[in-house]
Amino acid sequence: MKKILGVALGVLTAIGGFVDMGDLVANADTGARFDMNLAWVVVVGVVGICVYAEMSGRVAALCGRPVFDLVRERLGPRFGLANLLASFFINFLTLTAEIAGVALSISLVASVDYILLIPLVAILVWLVCWRMPFETMERIFGLLGLCLLVFAVTVWKIGPDWNELLGDVAHPHVPHTESVYSYAYFAIALFGAAMTPYEVFFFSSGAVEDGWTEKDLTENRINVLVGFPLGALLSLAIMACAHLVLAPRNIEVDQLSQVMLPVASVVGRLGLALVIIGVFAATFGAALETALSAGYVVAQYLGWPWGKYHSPRHATRFHVVVALAIAGALLFGLTGVDPVKVTEYSIVLSAGALPLTYFPILVIANDARYVGQEHTNGRWLNVLASIYLVILLAVSAATIPLMIITKGGS
Amino acid sequence: MLLRAGRSVAIALAIAAASLTGCTTHSVGPARTYDDFERKSRTTAQVALSAVETVRLLSETATAGKAFAAYTNVSISEQEDTIGEARSDFESIQPPGDGADALRARLDPMLDAAIDHIAAVRIAARRGELGSLTTIGAPLTGDSDALQRFLDDIG
Repeated sequence: MKKILGVALGVLTAIGGFVDMGDLVANADTGARFDMNLAWVVVVGVVGICVYAEMSGRVAALCGRPVFDLVRERLGPRFGLANLLASFFINFLTLTAEIAGVALSISLVASVDYILLIPLVAILVWLVCWRMPFETMERIFGLLGLCLLVFAVTVWKIGPDWNELLGDVAHPHVPHTESVYSYAYFAIALFGAAMTPYEVFFFSSGAVEDGWTEKDLTENRINVLVGFPLGALLSLAIMACAHLVLAPRNIEVDQLSQVMLPVASVVGRLGLALVIIGVFAATFGAALETALSAGYVVAQYLGWPWGKYHSPRHATRFHVVVALAIAGALLFGLTGVDPVKVTEYSIVLSAGALPLTYFPILVIANDARYVGQEHTNGRWLNVLASIYLVILLAVSAATIPLMIITKGGS
Repeated sequence: MLLRAGRSVAIALAIAAASLTGCTTHSVGPARTYDDFERKSRTTAQVALSAVETVRLLSETATAGKAFAAYTNVSISEQEDTIGEARSDFESIQPPGDGADALRARLDPMLDAAIDHIAAVRIAARRGELGSLTTIGAPLTGDSDALQRFLDDIG
């Protein structure tokens, strides 16, 4: 019974923790501009993250070391360094966006300029990273993130023509008001939001923090194969809300408050309260994950003691990197950069660096020295993962040109 | 091979860092031709239309008692800032010729009117008059229609 409860909690945490600032903005923005014509990208993205997150969790559970720790050892210091630089930069942008997202969600209740709240949020993030046990942190914010299910309730309350809605999903096309380039650019943004690199770094480091072993492989698979797709349904509900409520009015999403507006207008005050709590939890949880991921990637590359399972005294340099990343994000946020734009850039740029993150995972998950002969990838998993690697390379090559051609999707 | 990969990452990161300058809101460049100016006019009108419609929806939601005062206030202020920045960016663009002057002369008053009407809604919301926001924001319907006509005309 305790085991079943643990698995159920893990799945619920995975659903609630699936959505972050990038998913909120990307899904609402594309729903408002492209209707449901880009919903297929969410499906492609979630299959990709399931494939690679399962591998990274399996590697971590079987050898007790997270993926980033093994990249340098298996692929050499130069590849590891390239991976580190790209990951750290994108992770930093994501951390800035998440901290700003938390500040924005509080400002909608406190009626205070979000910039003034950024220092407070940064201190709170640092305190939680410093003091709160890993599992408690994961559970609290993951479960609170379930408040975002109110987006699904909103779609149900609107009562759309389901055949028409599913028809739009099944027969995607470029809307006449948009160019092929902007369609491709937003497809990459959605793909980047679904496959954000920090998710795998955090997932595999978290598996080590939670002390996973071979016995936990089933839980790993259930969390990934059930939790992530259900989380993706949440992403689709956000997109559908924007499509059904904002698109008919020609509203484009450039503020986080607009993402919540369909819920308020359809469900009312209770819905609005739930969605604000959900956005707060999703962005705060993601801020913790990205802050810790900054420490994970640097400490694991340099071979320092890392993680919350060490006391701060024994993982001093890890905690210093986490604190410096939060301080840097705080300063960047205080410059007044547009948080939604930072989010958009972070997810698009993360799409550009995806092969650097996912290629090593595929290599290590096939290496019997790390996972044992019986736990290496099967043939069909390798075929699927290789197809995704080709997609990742194509996405990576197209990202910067599309960013320039579309002027950042504008 | 690996060194080349490292260099590629460095170049990509440099491009990325440069692109982050675009993280400021509504950055605009110069318009050298009429087509360029027309494109920027269209973008400005779209931003304005989105802001006007957001405030209309917020007003309806608040009047129906479906939104908190703080959420309504902050969200309306954000839209006021958005349309204000769009107008100031648009006005900073030098029109390249007579045709562009005419376009500017048509769009400018629409933006001014929309900003005034959004400000009226914001003032009422801050005074706690949430129940009357739809009435106070009624002129926004005309602003929305005008902006939509403008967009339809320039194609």
